[in-house]
Amino acid sequence: MRRVAIAAAVALLAMLPLVPSVFGSYAVTLFTLIFFYGFLGQAWNIVGGYAGQLSAGHAAFLGIGAYTAALLSVERGVTPWLGMCRIIVSNTEALGGAVGYYITFTGDPRQFQFQDARAYYYVALVMMLAVTGIVAWLERRRFGVYLSAIREDESACEALGVNTFRYKMLAMMLSSFLTGIGGAFYAFYLFSLQPASVFGIPLSVEIIIRAIVGGAGTVLGPILGSFILSPLAELARYYFAQGGWHGAHLVVYGLLLIAVVLFLPEGAYPRLARLFRR
Amino acid sequence: MTSSPLTRRTFLKATLAGGAIAGAPRPLRAQPKPFRIAAVHPVTGPLAEPGQACRLGAQLAVEAVNAGGGIKSKGGMPLELLLGDTQSKPENGRIEAERLVNQGAQMLLGSFDSGSTAAMVSVAQQKRVPFLIDIAAADPITANVARSVKEGQQKVQYVYRNFPTGSTFGRKAVQYFTEIFAEAKVTPKRVALMHCNDLFGVNQSRGFLAAYKAAKPPWTLLEDDVIPWPEPPSDLSTEVARLKALKPDVISPITRPASALLLLPEIRKQRIESLGIVGPGSPGLYEAGQIAALKEDLEYVMASNPWPNFRSPKTQRLAEDYQKRSGGRLFDTNSGYSYDAVFVIADVLERAAKLDDPDAIVEAIQKTSYTAGLMQYGGPVHFNEIGDNPNAIPTMIQILKAKPVAVWPKDAALQKFVFPRPKA
Repeated sequence: MRRVAIAAAVALLAMLPLVPSVFGSYAVTLFTLIFFYGFLGQAWNIVGGYAGQLSAGHAAFLGIGAYTAALLSVERGVTPWLGMCRIIVSNTEALGGAVGYYITFTGDPRQFQFQDARAYYYVALVMMLAVTGIVAWLERRRFGVYLSAIREDESACEALGVNTFRYKMLAMMLSSFLTGIGGAFYAFYLFSLQPASVFGIPLSVEIIIRAIVGGAGTVLGPILGSFILSPLAELARYYFAQGGWHGAHLVVYGLLLIAVVLFLPEGAYPRLARLFRR
Repeated sequence: MTSSPLTRRTFLKATLAGGAIAGAPRPLRAQPKPFRIAAVHPVTGPLAEPGQACRLGAQLAVEAVNAGGGIKSKGGMPLELLLGDTQSKPENGRIEAERLVNQGAQMLLGSFDSGSTAAMVSVAQQKRVPFLIDIAAADPITANVARSVKEGQQKVQYVYRNFPTGSTFGRKAVQYFTEIFAEAKVTPKRVALMHCNDLFGVNQSRGFLAAYKAAKPPWTLLEDDVIPWPEPPSDLSTEVARLKALKPDVISPITRPASALLLLPEIRKQRIESLGIVGPGSPGLYEAGQIAALKEDLEYVMASNPWPNFRSPKTQRLAEDYQKRSGGRLFDTNSGYSYDAVFVIADVLERAAKLDDPDAIVEAIQKTSYTAGLMQYGGPVHFNEIGDNPNAIPTMIQILKAKPVAVWPKDAALQKFVFPRPKA
């Protein structure tokens, strides 16, 4: 059974690069966002899932990454491919301050802009796979084991001689760095940055909820969470937002979310994994 | 010569057959396929109220165009709106635009807030779908696209806007202040600017300050004593105390509905004497709900806002219809600009050589000179080299006898303004 599951997962994964050539642009956009939020959820998973440290402000790292990459590109001509490996900039006036920042759409791939939206799909897919690879690798290393130990019982872990502060800090650094890379993608995918959006609580919740629904502290949980939640939101909007029922889709999405949390409290991935182990 | 005898039976057959042929319906004329427009607005979330007004405005306009025979030069082709909701989130502007283009939308319309509008721009440019912005003020939205076309990074500009830009708001407010003060024969030396400290408030105050510096008018704005407040505020007594200390001749607030409800009663309570309250442009100072709540505090308050041309009987009729369809809401900036945008699109489609070629539609957009708009314009709707309509301007409105009335510029005024404010 387990082999079948792995084979199915590999087959699904192998099919993902073919999506843009089979489906329309809307599906490409939807998948791009699934990968993007899967990436962010996975980055949060390192500190929130494995180390068990609840970070409800991850949007701040995304915002810093987004603004820095945008500023470096627009004002200094530094390619966002480099801007992704960002430095922290705190000059709010130059960043457009509270009035938002708008990026000129040029379609120049050197500036991380693509005339063909399918390019974003592949970039997001690679980002999601790469971060999942990193998490899977970390899980099997001493670092990953320490993080799980900190999550389960920090005092006991410290008593065994683990420098818990150091490992929590390392987890936070790695997680925020990866989230910042996501910020650069966000900036050049949407071409405008509004402080309330990129630094706001709702975005932090969007990030966390992927990992919670999918299964925090598991390698595939945040990815599965993203594959569940993004299509749910879209389907709810697609079917309920057309008539005069303003907001009905949000109620439906909320109910679906409650159902997921009620019936899969530990997340979808652990339940699925148990199912396949039988 | 032989002839077939005309029997009663053959006569009946021939008559029935002839009657059947004559009575048969003419082959139905092929109904042209509708032209699909993606109307993306924030109909849920914090911006739901203006977003719903935009949507209803666009829907009424589509009904009117279709009732009037559709696009006549294209065989009466009807318009069809495909509705999108950004949920007041910028990223959904892009998702919804993609979804609706995928469903066959040939033009984009939207989307009220500058963040989601900017996200839609990339879809328009990537997929070559002409995009008419009905509401969104941030200057860079169109200016950035125009620049990338000018520098050769993009071939064609697909993004156009029929709404005043942020800089137009500031420039026009300073102009109206100057003209109204001159007409009233006063030269205020202490105009105090106050603003909500959110995205909109900061943008508006910066635009106003920049325009003031550029125009160097005879009246004086207290540039170094601008008073911001966090939005939404829980209490504005400290800010109003600071205002009192400035001894203002004119109070110039940039509000949101929630902050206006606190600010104006507080100004009354702290008994600040001034020539009047004149805002550079913001919501909260003219809506029916605000007038009902603020009553006398809002009387004689002026604000520079995009406004329907209520001198036109067409606007008055539509405003009545809108009120019935919206459950009593006022036909205003949001519904009006979305309504006009659909008619501008209809005008463009009438003139476009081909509708299956986005560049032909863009060519028609660039040659627009539309004069039948319901909003107050400074001339025909047309698009400059940046893609903006320079004739999309605000109007100074004043609350007189509990109703918002256009008072400036003179050719838009329904009544003469009352300034300075009469003493109670």
